[in-house]
Amino acid sequence: MADFVTPAGGDPAPIASTPGVQETRRPGIGETFENLLNETASNLSEADQLSRESAAGGPVDLHDVMIAMEKADISLRLLVQVRNKALDAYQEIMRMQV
Amino acid sequence: MDILGVMNIGSSALRAQTIRLNTISSNLANIETTRTPEGGPYRKKSAVFTTASTSFEAHLEQGRPQTAQGVNVQYIRTDNGPGKMVYDPSHPDSDENGYVEKPNINLAEEMTDMMRARGSYEANVTAIKSAQRMAMKALEIGR
Repeated sequence: MADFVTPAGGDPAPIASTPGVQETRRPGIGETFENLLNETASNLSEADQLSRESAAGGPVDLHDVMIAMEKADISLRLLVQVRNKALDAYQEIMRMQV
Repeated sequence: MDILGVMNIGSSALRAQTIRLNTISSNLANIETTRTPEGGPYRKKSAVFTTASTSFEAHLEQGRPQTAQGVNVQYIRTDNGPGKMVYDPSHPDSDENGYVEKPNINLAEEMTDMMRARGSYEANVTAIKSAQRMAMKALEIGR
């Protein structure tokens, strides 16, 4: 799942690292997407748990349930948009004539 | 995400206003109560609000003091002012002169406080709604 967009030819070789310059590894698109996915999943499960508790008559504030569901909704929509963009970019590159 | 921060602040305000409404309904329910476990009539209670202190992690993440803060109920204050003295010699809690001390609650005051609590709750719901609408609008950019 995480590696659905891997850089062509694996990880790019570090370009002759100049001494004294700190090398920082930037996370790939796959890793970023995975983080977003995990965050969305945790928001969804929080909303799920709160609505379950509220339905069972637990001591949950009604607004907390609604806000948790709203947060889950927004992060899911964001995830879908990011996925669409990534897929569009991938297909655009695949269509490229060499 | 900052939009979710708006929701957290709004959520704290909604909780605070719920607690406030709780104390108001307790006052209204006990407007005639003359016996309490502590002795004497019921005393008016009200919620005292304080800004929610931001977590240490939030400070570290932002690298600057956060200006937007939520609200918390610090404690429930008990008003120890004197109650209304009502002449009712037949009442079991009347003193030697036939007066009964009723709780120090003013019905009109409680009703206005209740309206303010409701208004504040609605205002915070509106803030949360507009944060949600802004997030949805931002997502429309991608379409």
